[in-house]
Amino acid sequence: MIHDDVFGSPGRRQALTIAVLVIVAVLMLRLYQLQLLFHVELDKKSEENSVRALIKDPVRGYMYDRYGRLMVDVGPSYSITLVPAEFEKRNTPFLSSILQVDSSYLEDRISKARQYSPFLPTRIKRDVDMKTLAAIEENLPLLRGISYQIESKRMYPTAARAPHLFGYRREISDAQLSDAGEYYRPGDLIGVSGLEARYELPLRGHKGFEYVSVNSKGQIIGSFEDGKRDITAKEGENLLLCIDGGLQAFAESLMTTYSGAIVAMDPTDGGILAFVSKPDYDPAIMSGVTPAAEWAGLQTNPQKPLFNRASLTKYPPGSTFKMVLAAAALEEGIIDERYRIQCTGGFRFGNRVFKDLHVHGSVNVVEAIQKSCNVFFYQLMLKVGFEKWTEYGRRFGFGQPTNTDTGEETAGLLPSVEYYDSRYGKGKWTQGFLVSLAIGQGEVGVSPLQMVRYTAALANGGIVYRPHAVGFVQRSEDSTPVMVPRDSTIVGLSPQTLQLIRDGMQRVVHAPGGTGSLAKIPGVVSAGKTGTAENPHGQDHAWYVGFAPYENPKIAVVVMLENSGFGGAKAAPLAGLVMEKFLFGELKRYQPKAVQKSVAGGAPNAPR
Amino acid sequence: MLDYLKEYFDFRGLMLCLGLVVVGLLSVYSATFDVGAAAPFKKQLIWAGVGLVALFAMAFIPIRTLQRLSLPLYIFNLGLLLIVLVIGERISGSKSWFGFGGASGQPSLGGQPSEFMKVTVVLALAAFLARTSISLSNPKHFLLAVAIVLVPMALVLAQPDLGTSIVFFAMLLPVLYWAGSSNFVLVAILAPIIAAAGALFGTLTFLITLIVSGALLYVTRQNRFAAAVAFAVTLAVGLSVQAVYERLPAYQQKRISTFLDPGSDQKGAGYNVYQSKVAIGSGGFFGKGYLQGTQTQLNFIPEQWTDFIFCVPGEEFGFVGASVVIALFAGLLLHGIRVAGLSKNKFASAAAIGITGIFVTHVLVNIGMSMGLLPVIGIPLPFLSYGGSALIANMSMVGLLMNFYANRKEH
Repeated sequence: MIHDDVFGSPGRRQALTIAVLVIVAVLMLRLYQLQLLFHVELDKKSEENSVRALIKDPVRGYMYDRYGRLMVDVGPSYSITLVPAEFEKRNTPFLSSILQVDSSYLEDRISKARQYSPFLPTRIKRDVDMKTLAAIEENLPLLRGISYQIESKRMYPTAARAPHLFGYRREISDAQLSDAGEYYRPGDLIGVSGLEARYELPLRGHKGFEYVSVNSKGQIIGSFEDGKRDITAKEGENLLLCIDGGLQAFAESLMTTYSGAIVAMDPTDGGILAFVSKPDYDPAIMSGVTPAAEWAGLQTNPQKPLFNRASLTKYPPGSTFKMVLAAAALEEGIIDERYRIQCTGGFRFGNRVFKDLHVHGSVNVVEAIQKSCNVFFYQLMLKVGFEKWTEYGRRFGFGQPTNTDTGEETAGLLPSVEYYDSRYGKGKWTQGFLVSLAIGQGEVGVSPLQMVRYTAALANGGIVYRPHAVGFVQRSEDSTPVMVPRDSTIVGLSPQTLQLIRDGMQRVVHAPGGTGSLAKIPGVVSAGKTGTAENPHGQDHAWYVGFAPYENPKIAVVVMLENSGFGGAKAAPLAGLVMEKFLFGELKRYQPKAVQKSVAGGAPNAPR
Repeated sequence: MLDYLKEYFDFRGLMLCLGLVVVGLLSVYSATFDVGAAAPFKKQLIWAGVGLVALFAMAFIPIRTLQRLSLPLYIFNLGLLLIVLVIGERISGSKSWFGFGGASGQPSLGGQPSEFMKVTVVLALAAFLARTSISLSNPKHFLLAVAIVLVPMALVLAQPDLGTSIVFFAMLLPVLYWAGSSNFVLVAILAPIIAAAGALFGTLTFLITLIVSGALLYVTRQNRFAAAVAFAVTLAVGLSVQAVYERLPAYQQKRISTFLDPGSDQKGAGYNVYQSKVAIGSGGFFGKGYLQGTQTQLNFIPEQWTDFIFCVPGEEFGFVGASVVIALFAGLLLHGIRVAGLSKNKFASAAAIGITGIFVTHVLVNIGMSMGLLPVIGIPLPFLSYGGSALIANMSMVGLLMNFYANRKEH
C-alpha cells in the first residue's frame, strides 16, 4: 500500500479494473432485474402505454308498444369533446362563446376531464344544436384538441308522452359511479327514473372498444393490430311494452285539463295498457341536455309535473275501496246477499253522525255497491271488524309495494290495529276511526297503480298481478322475445262472493240509480265503482275504477282526478272512453271536440 | 505482416468501437425512422464517417506531437467554451452549441466545444502529469493538476450543463489515482461528495455516509490535522446540502427529488425514467425485435435517440442485445486500462486512463439513469446517442487509445 503511489502501479491498475468490473456487474444485475424479473409487469405496462381503448357507445334499446309501434326511438346527438393535453388554454373564451357556456363551467369541465385522462377525449357539452356544431366544425383548425362525437339520444315518435313511464337518463353521479361498478365512466348517462332506470341493464347494451395505437403525446397514430382485438359494441335490448300507444296518447289527451292519473291494466296478466300521470312534461327535453332553467322550472312548478301521480301517491280511495269490505264480509260468511239494512241517510256512532248522500232505504250488499250506500258499509265495518278489513285489504295488495316495473312507487298506507296502536297508543283510538275506513276515507292511502290491480283482481276472479309495463325483453343477439315474469297472488274469493261484488259493480254502470252510468260504453257491458274522496287540502278527489267487458274482461282502468268533485260525474266518463278506445281501437260514440282535437295520430295501426 | 499488424495495430479497440457505432446507428435509425424520414440517421451516418477519419487521424499522430499540441489545444478550446457562453445558441435550456449559419436556432452545422473539451482536457492533464518535474505530493502541483480540469468544468457548469461537468470531475479522480496521488487526498475529495449525496436522501443516510467517510479518512490519513480538516469540510458540505438544493434550478431539484422517490411523478419529471424502465423491462430476454419496440416506435420516451438511446437495444433486442452493448463497453473500458498499463509513456498512460474515465462515467451515468439506478443527468451514451460532436470526440478518443496501444513500448 505504501509503495503503490507511483505512476501506474500494478496495484492501482488492478483496483481500477475491479472498479470497472463492479460497475459493469451492477449494470448487468439491474438489467437482469428489469428484463427478466420484472419483465411481465413492465411488459403489461408497455402495452397499456401504447394502446388505448376508445369506447364505442352502444345503441340503446328501443321500446315498442303492444302492437309493435315504435314508441321510444334513438336519434343522433352531437357532443363536443376535448382532449385536455392538446387544448390550448387561451382558446377557452372563444370556445365558451361558441358553446354558449360560462368560461368557469368550461374550465371546470376541462379540469375534471384532465383528472380522468389528459390524453383522451372527454365530453364537455352534450347534444349541441346544428348551429353550434357548424361553428365548431368551422373553427376546428383553430381549436386544437376539440372534436365532436355522435351519440344517441332518446326520441319519442308517437303522440304519447308518458314521461313518468318511460323515465329518463341523466349523467351518472359520483355516488352512482362508485356503486354501479366498473361499466360506467364519468359523463355516461344512466337511467334514473321509469323504465329507463328499471331496465337500465338490458337497455344499455355493452360498450365496445376500439383499440388504437397512440404515441407519447396520446395522439392516435392508427388502429392496433388492424382492429383484430376490437370489441364491437353490443346494442341494447328492446323492450316490448304491454302499453297500447294509441290508448296511452288518448288517455293523456283526456287528462290535459286535469291533475291526476289514469292507469289501465290487462286483467288477464297484469300488463299495463296505459300509464298516465298529469300534469307531465315532454320527455324529449330530458333526452339530451336539459337546460338548467328548464329543469329548475320543472322542479319548482307548483303543479309538480315531475311527480308521478300514478304510483308515487297516497290518495284516500273513497268509495272505490268498498269492495274490500264487501269481499271480507261475504267471504268470511258474516253476511250474504240476504243481509239488508235500512239506510236513513245517516249513521250515528257514539255522539257523531256520519252522513250519507242519499236516503237509500233497504239495501243489500249488491245494491249498496250500486248506490254507494255509506250507511251500509259503516255498519258492515263494525260487523266485520278492523282486522278482517285489514287482512282483505292486504290480500288485494294494499299497504305494500306492487313491485311494478314502471319505476318509483309507494307502498301506500293500509291502517291496521298495529298501526293505530303504534300511532296513537293502545286504547287511545276508538272504533270511530273504523267508520271512516269503511268508505275509504281516513288514513287509508292508495296509489292509482294499486287500485288498478285491485280492480283487475275483481275482474279476473281474484288474481293480484304484479303490474308490468314490459311484456318481453327482446334479446339483441337473435331478437327472441324473453317474457318478463308474471308474478301474482291469489286473493282467495269464492265464486259467490265475486259474483255478488261484480254484480254490484255492473249495476253501478247499468242499473238505474247506479253512480257510474256515465262510464257506459256503447254496446258493451262493463262494471265499475265510483269514488269521491274527501280531502283535507281542498276539493274532493274524483275516482272511478272499472273493467270491461263484464264477461271476460280485457281491460281494467282507474281514473283519479285530483280536486275534481264527484267521481261519478268527472272520472266515470273518462274511464268509459278509455275502455271503449281500447276495446274498439277507436271511439264509436260521438267524440267531444276537445278530445277529437288532441287524439290525432292516436289510433293503432296494424302491428308491425 | 499479420504479426506486425497485430503488434502495432489495435484491432481490439477498433472492433469494440465499430461494434458500438453499428449498434448506435441501428438504434438511432429505429428511434427516428418514422419521425423525420430518417434524417437523423443519415446525419449520424455521416458523422460516423467523419468520426472514423478522426479516429484514424488520432491513431497515427505521433505521441510527441500530441503531447506538444495538448496545451495550445487546451487553451484554444477554453476560448471556444467562453465564446459559446456568450453567444452560443440555446439547446434544451443550455448554451452549449456553436451554430454556423443556423439563423433560426436550428443548428445545421455546428458543434459542442464541451465534447471536444473532454479530449483536450485529458491530453492537457496527462501532459502535465507526464512532466518529470511534477510530483503530486507537492500540493502546488496537485492543485495545478486539479485546476486544469476545474476551469473548463466550471465553464461547462455555467452553460449550464451539469452532466458534462460531472464527467470532467469523474475523469480527474482516476487519473490522479493512476498518477500516484495519495489515497488520502482522493478520499478527502470524495468524502464531501458522498456525504452530500447521503444528505440528500435523509438524515440517517447522511450519518452513515459521514461515518464511512470518517473511517476512510482515518484509514488513509497521513497526518491527523489534514484528516481532521478533511472531515470538517465533509461535515460542512453535508450540512449545507439543503441550502444548496434550494438554490438549484427547479428542473434539477425535480430531477433529484424524482430520483429519490421515482414513483412520485410518473407523468411529470419521473416520466422519462418510468417510460425508459418500461421500455427496457418490456424487452424481456430476446426483445421485441428490431423496429418492433412499441415504446420506441411510439415515441414514448422523450429524447430517446439522445440520452435514452439505451432503451432501443433494451426494448428491441432484449436482455441479449443489452448485454452485448454492456459487454462491448466493458471490453472497451478494460482495454483502456490495459493500454494504460502497457504504455511506457507516462503521457499516453495517463491519457488512456483519462479516456477510460470519461467513458466509464458516461456509461455508468447514462445506462444507470435509463434503468432508474441514477438520477436523470443528461449525458449521452458514447457511440450510441445521436449527436455528431460526441460521436466524433468519442471515436477520436478510441483513435488515441489505438495510438497508445500501437506505441505502448515507446517512452
